[in-house]
Amino acid sequence: MSESGALSGLRVLDLSDHRAQLAGRLLADMGADVIKVEPPGGDRARTIGPFVDDQPHRDRSLFFWFYNLNKRSLTLDLTHPRGADLFRQLAKSADVVIESFAPGHLAAMGLGWEELHAINPALILLSIAPFGQTGPYRDFEADDTVLTALSGMLYVNGYPGRAPVRPLGLQAYHSASYFGAIAAMCALFARDKSGQGSWVDLSMQEATAAAVEHVAGSYFENRIAEPRRGTLHWSRFFRVGKCRDGYIMHCTLGDWTSLIEWVKSDGKAGDLIAPEYDQVMHRFLMAEHLFDVLDEWVKDYGRDELLERAQLLRQPYAIVRRPEALFDDEQLGARGFFVEVEHPELGRTFRYPGAPYLFNGTPWRVYRRPPLVGEHTASILRDELGIEATEAAVLAGEGVV
Amino acid sequence: MPGLPLEGVRILDFTWVVAGPVATRILADHGAEVVKIERKVPPPLGNRKLGLQCDLHRNKVSLALNMAEPRGVEIARRLAAKSDLVMDNFSARVMRSWGMDYESLVAVKPDIICISMSGLGHTGPRSSYVSYGPTLQALAGYTMLMAEADGTPAGYGYSYADMCGGYTGALAALIALWNRKRTGQGQFVDLSQFEAVTAVVGTSLMDISVNNREQKPFGYVSQEAPAAPHGVYRCRARDGDDDRWVAISVRSQPEWDRFVDAIGKPPWADDPKFRTLYLRMRNREELDALISRWTSERSAEDAMATLQRARVAAGVVANGIDICRRDPQLKERGFWPPVSTPGDKTTHVTGIPFKISTGSGTIRSAGPEVGENNEYILGEILGLSRSERDELVKAGIVWP
Repeated sequence: MSESGALSGLRVLDLSDHRAQLAGRLLADMGADVIKVEPPGGDRARTIGPFVDDQPHRDRSLFFWFYNLNKRSLTLDLTHPRGADLFRQLAKSADVVIESFAPGHLAAMGLGWEELHAINPALILLSIAPFGQTGPYRDFEADDTVLTALSGMLYVNGYPGRAPVRPLGLQAYHSASYFGAIAAMCALFARDKSGQGSWVDLSMQEATAAAVEHVAGSYFENRIAEPRRGTLHWSRFFRVGKCRDGYIMHCTLGDWTSLIEWVKSDGKAGDLIAPEYDQVMHRFLMAEHLFDVLDEWVKDYGRDELLERAQLLRQPYAIVRRPEALFDDEQLGARGFFVEVEHPELGRTFRYPGAPYLFNGTPWRVYRRPPLVGEHTASILRDELGIEATEAAVLAGEGVV
Repeated sequence: MPGLPLEGVRILDFTWVVAGPVATRILADHGAEVVKIERKVPPPLGNRKLGLQCDLHRNKVSLALNMAEPRGVEIARRLAAKSDLVMDNFSARVMRSWGMDYESLVAVKPDIICISMSGLGHTGPRSSYVSYGPTLQALAGYTMLMAEADGTPAGYGYSYADMCGGYTGALAALIALWNRKRTGQGQFVDLSQFEAVTAVVGTSLMDISVNNREQKPFGYVSQEAPAAPHGVYRCRARDGDDDRWVAISVRSQPEWDRFVDAIGKPPWADDPKFRTLYLRMRNREELDALISRWTSERSAEDAMATLQRARVAAGVVANGIDICRRDPQLKERGFWPPVSTPGDKTTHVTGIPFKISTGSGTIRSAGPEVGENNEYILGEILGLSRSERDELVKAGIVWP
């Protein structure tokens, strides 16, 4: 790893499955040496699509690629005593181990917190589980959809009277992974103070519940359950409207006078010219009617024209776009958001979503494309574990690596 | 804050609305001293001792400072010189106009870290666009792809973009602090909230970029593993509330067998058209209707318990009352910790989703009213005397 990375010098052993792999990637993107420890044959995430050209193969999974950019891969059978030994040896010099096994599974393999702490007292073990390591749901089954349900994230999306709508992406896992990276950093700062590593118990259900903006606050303030409201944002200042050629997002938090003058000049302001609408509180109370009038106003506009004029007036309007449009977005393009990642074994280069932040001193960067299964096994055995080629061949023969 | 991971770190916090306060809240929970600089008349965002605003601002202190006055700016610059991090969510010109941008502050404090969390970033042709979380998630594709069957957008009833921006901001701060500890160097971080929420659209972006495939709303088609049944199923009403649902996800064949046992081996489960996962996915509408017959006869809680006993992934589609009052897991783990508020009252806030065995983050105080900590910030941090503080109030630099 380059010394220029903000996290260079940190070693992370990533045992996590498809639910928590983004946590290690966030650290790898900033220069940590993240070793993805996979079972021989490869991580299950490699079986999840989509695949390059729709050809399923463990080294063509775009799901795996997205979550494992910048990591190295070591195949190791942790259920084999020799495999567990090699892992313990690696853990001696690691800073963080990330795992998302069922609670208790790691300990059953002789690699639980007590064992790892005894080997390396400065090690941080980050355990990411659907419901955490304790409590009555500890051993319950969950996927992303069930987690969004049990955390309150699902219930508030969609229209009243109809089924709740699932978030795009795997946002329970993403929320848990962001908190995972944050937790790892907090534990590293704590270790700097005390010299002691720690066991971090992260609950995906809690991370997802924390990522629902308004639901808990409304309950503790007013003892109510926030309902579904279609696209009317809970604050009542945003709603989707329909132009001639597609959807836009209305917003009534900009300068009201300039917005209503524009609508008036189009002859569509109706009763919104009443002076009460100058008050934010009145717009809040009258939101449904207000957006009905604005919907009538925008329906003959083309959405690009509407957006350009709105932004000139500093109205926070936006186009409701398809994600394909992101790849032609001038702003993302100018800031270099999408990055080219070379895959020499395929003889191709692919565009990946890149940095969510621009650090001027220690930039986010692509260190390496996502690893092939076991791509770094030989070099890690040799350089990190001091295992000679002949012994490595024996280990491979026994299915340990 | 002894023992907390970020004890000794001070953050000068100009952020407002949601994303910025989420970022600094996470840092405050872990022991950073977060000093909010605010106008006396804040946007009408509600009571900071309760609800969302308490969630966003707990553990912070507030100074009501008039940044329209040069002397106000001077106070802020002196505070920056005693801080490790300065965070804002303005467009580039605001901090620059105050001489509070990174280039200016480096002269005052060479190892300062500045993080600006603007909507679309400080550079690029759209950097001056005005945006909020709901407009950013519309631009990123969420609103459009969270749709009803007929394609009508139905996306996010709240601002997920603000939460993503907040987490990304907190992570950026931690990484920049780590780098400073390692190298002694501060830096400037230009965080685009738009990019933060775009980054977590996930594998759809790879499918577009690599396979050039147009993305359609996924509905309840799983994005992590082929599954059927997979979705939400309406359950019996509870206390007159008929908006009750259970989410169910059945992936493997053994799971399907356990599922069929758990729901009492109905005859239709033997129908050849449901025999394999492939067939169940192909006939999912029919399957969903049959499962809804089973769920509609029981409460969401019963359905979840019955299926979880059979080790089938299932969960109540929880509303605010479910998560804050009923859910036994969140309760047992203390996810809604208490915080005391004026008048010896207690309210609850959103907890911290991870516990550190050597000392977790803590909830120490409710959100401060604007200017609640003027005396502490001016007196203790800047060392101003009482007469100097009174004079600042009289001159309209600090609002009492």
